[in-house]
Amino acid sequence: MFLQKRARFAYYLILPSLLIITLLDLVPIIESVVVSLQSQNMGRANPDAFVGLAHYARALFDEPTFWSSLWKTLIWTAFSVIGAYLVALGLALLLHMDIWGRGFFRALFLVPWVIPDVATALLWKWLYGDEFGVINFLLTKIGVINRPVLWLSDPLMAMPAVVLVQVWKLYPVMFVVLLAALQNVPKELSESAVIDGANIWQRFRFVTFPFIKATSIIVTLLASIWTFQAFDIVYLLTGGGPAGATKILPTLVYDKAFWGLEIGYASAIALLMLIALLIISVAYLLLYRAQSDVIEEARA
Amino acid sequence: MKIASLDRYRLSFTLLVVYCLLAAAAIVILFPIFWMASSSLKPAPELFARNLTMLPIAWTLENYLNVWQGTDFPKYFWNSFKVASISTAMTVFVSVYAAYALARIRFFGRGAYGIVLLITQMFPHILLVLPLFIIIQRLGLFNTHAALIIAYTAFSLPFTIWMLRGFFEAIPQELEEAAAIDGASLLTTFHKVILPLAGPGLAAVTMFGFIRGWNEFLFALVFLQGHDLFTLPIGLASFQEEYTFRWDLILAGSGIITLPVLFFFLLMQRFIVQGLLGGAVKG
Repeated sequence: MFLQKRARFAYYLILPSLLIITLLDLVPIIESVVVSLQSQNMGRANPDAFVGLAHYARALFDEPTFWSSLWKTLIWTAFSVIGAYLVALGLALLLHMDIWGRGFFRALFLVPWVIPDVATALLWKWLYGDEFGVINFLLTKIGVINRPVLWLSDPLMAMPAVVLVQVWKLYPVMFVVLLAALQNVPKELSESAVIDGANIWQRFRFVTFPFIKATSIIVTLLASIWTFQAFDIVYLLTGGGPAGATKILPTLVYDKAFWGLEIGYASAIALLMLIALLIISVAYLLLYRAQSDVIEEARA
Repeated sequence: MKIASLDRYRLSFTLLVVYCLLAAAAIVILFPIFWMASSSLKPAPELFARNLTMLPIAWTLENYLNVWQGTDFPKYFWNSFKVASISTAMTVFVSVYAAYALARIRFFGRGAYGIVLLITQMFPHILLVLPLFIIIQRLGLFNTHAALIIAYTAFSLPFTIWMLRGFFEAIPQELEEAAAIDGASLLTTFHKVILPLAGPGLAAVTMFGFIRGWNEFLFALVFLQGHDLFTLPIGLASFQEEYTFRWDLILAGSGIITLPVLFFFLLMQRFIVQGLLGGAVKG
């Protein structure tokens, strides 16, 4: 009787949140599946006409941009996440040590995380500037280059340039999570490893890393999911250019929907993107499982 | 004794290396922000000088005055403040109760509810923005702040509920039981006993919601058309087209949009980080 009352109370408590989430997260997903099967096109006479999988076929077979965008998205994601992970891990290892001013440094290194995306993009655009950009100025000054690099307008440099910004933006969250994971490493273990004469690398490889491996997997997977669908930074920095060099899938979807005005087709691309994301996530987790099995066997 | 002093020597050497690395990392990572601040305080001729200086030669607040007085910036600022505050208030109000239920009460479907929360966090915004655009239009909410407030609330909720759950679970259950024995109802217990103890958690989700609403770009870009309704992120982005290469305005604007979130964050970062971990890692 008491339990029942408590349970009913719980339903009242979660009801508003469930309602909002259903209406604005779940219904839209279903809606976008429906829309992707229709000829939804702003200004078309019969937008609700059912076209089946035509949009999907068009993206996969007739649209060269889809595959090249997918490829660019993969590159953008992989490099951003690996770069951010390395920065985050390095800082986390340094700030896990019991040193003076630790709290101060921790707060400092989190700052890029809260800077609004728009400010981030504009600020980096200013840093990257051809003529008045400080990066070109400093590199010229120390003699690395003798003429300004067109960071954002050279098709070759644009991708590395936007990846660097994403690394800057992405590492803080990974840093916090890794810092927390490092607290699970038993102190005695690393101490005895020191006594056994293990060097820094061996200590990391055989003592520290096994304890933060699971967290590393989760956090890189999450970061990959965020980066794979990230829109703001690239849209604001390059708009997908120059010459499509940074046209990742989210910018392609945006262009098709709000410039091409083809909502149905854009929805199909977005859903293909989601499917690609799911495939990658599952593959990633399977790979992790297979690998940890190998390690378990080697240990046994 | 000899060994001890050798150890101390090695220790201080390691410390030196650690601090050097930290200082170097801090300089590289914070340089962009420093450069934004420094540039925004330079008068226009210095901004476009051939020879750049790290600090302004002639410090000036001119750029900030120009962007505040000469553009629609104050309007954008107010719009952002309004949208972020209202959506944050709604988010906190709704998620406090839901998180409490999730943390403390066993009910049928609790596991499924938790999973729904996790999954909705994964939905790409670029995917949601298309159907939401259609729904918002159908509801007649296109080009209104209400559309943004609803959307921001919906997108923050799953994470804030998850975050608060961690805070509530950390509160000893005996306190509630004591209140129940004293005859307090469930809701009274929650309001009088639990909520006051969850201060840091409330601070964390409030900040999280506000920062998210304040920074959000894509939905504002798609849902708003009238300049009068623009929030800061899209207002600032629109500067690029309207005032081509007026970097003096753009940099000062970027400074203004960054300042409030930076200030709040540094003030409350301990709680936010705590909440982030409570929500993200516990999983």
